[in-house]
Amino acid sequence: MIKESYSAVEENELVRAALGGDKQAFGEIVTRYRKMVARTVKSMLGDSVFAEDIGQEVFIKLYYSLPEFRGEAKLSTYIQRIAVNLTLNEIKRRKRFFSMFSQKGNNEMYEFEVADQDTQEQREATEIVNKALKEMDPKFSIIITMRMLQGYSTKETAEILDLPIGTVLSRLSRAQDQLKKILEKL
Amino acid sequence: MTTMNSSEIKKLLISSLNTDGDTTELSARLEREGISYDFSEDFTDKVLNKIYETKVKVSREVDFVKSLNIAFYRIALTGVAAIVVLLISIFLMEGSLSFNSFLGLSDSYDETIVSLLTGN
Repeated sequence: MIKESYSAVEENELVRAALGGDKQAFGEIVTRYRKMVARTVKSMLGDSVFAEDIGQEVFIKLYYSLPEFRGEAKLSTYIQRIAVNLTLNEIKRRKRFFSMFSQKGNNEMYEFEVADQDTQEQREATEIVNKALKEMDPKFSIIITMRMLQGYSTKETAEILDLPIGTVLSRLSRAQDQLKKILEKL
Repeated sequence: MTTMNSSEIKKLLISSLNTDGDTTELSARLEREGISYDFSEDFTDKVLNKIYETKVKVSREVDFVKSLNIAFYRIALTGVAAIVVLLISIFLMEGSLSFNSFLGLSDSYDETIVSLLTGN
């Protein structure tokens, strides 16, 4: 039986249907979590075509790793882990590339094309956050992204980043100091 | 809804950083203020196309390899059958399967070959 809409379907059922080859069910998973992935990827990499590619890669990787998903963690946590890993890998890759081929600074690694926001104020607000995050060390900015933009608790952040809670707390404290200094400068 | 200006956003961020508590409200507020992220409109379609097109492509490749294997087995079997027929015909004609009979030299002796080559 083909379902008309999956919008009201429970997560576990969606996963089962997607595993059974139901394209529409997997489409619903993508629709539900695309904004969450965009917040992680775009806040760390900037609003660019590359960020969109990484976003696609996150869901493609999710599709092929769905058989391994046992449902012990929430699907959102599982997706977030993939997004964080791919984003941090991309940042490392860019750092390597720019250190080898470019004399330009770190800022050139990111392409911010802040667009599609309704007003000038909204664009400025997003720019402030993006600029602040890109000036930070990725290991700190990812914590800020998880806590501030995604609204995760310290425990959830630790789970997603696969770090002990103590490490998350100490990084959070240092990240807060860094961000405060950066925001005051901007 | 009135949107905050950049200095208000900065103040909001800085003040929110002083707490280690629940940040759900902060993230929701930031989103309300326009700090939201999303991919392009056709993002979902692009992802689905990539996944399901690749699957079709992979299954086509698998089909091709399978038919190649079948063709290879048929060619190999035909070859083996031809070799068997050849061996049988050599055995029937020469009466043995020695190296000489393979070369068609079963009737000549070494001395004959030497005299043929040297002319003596």
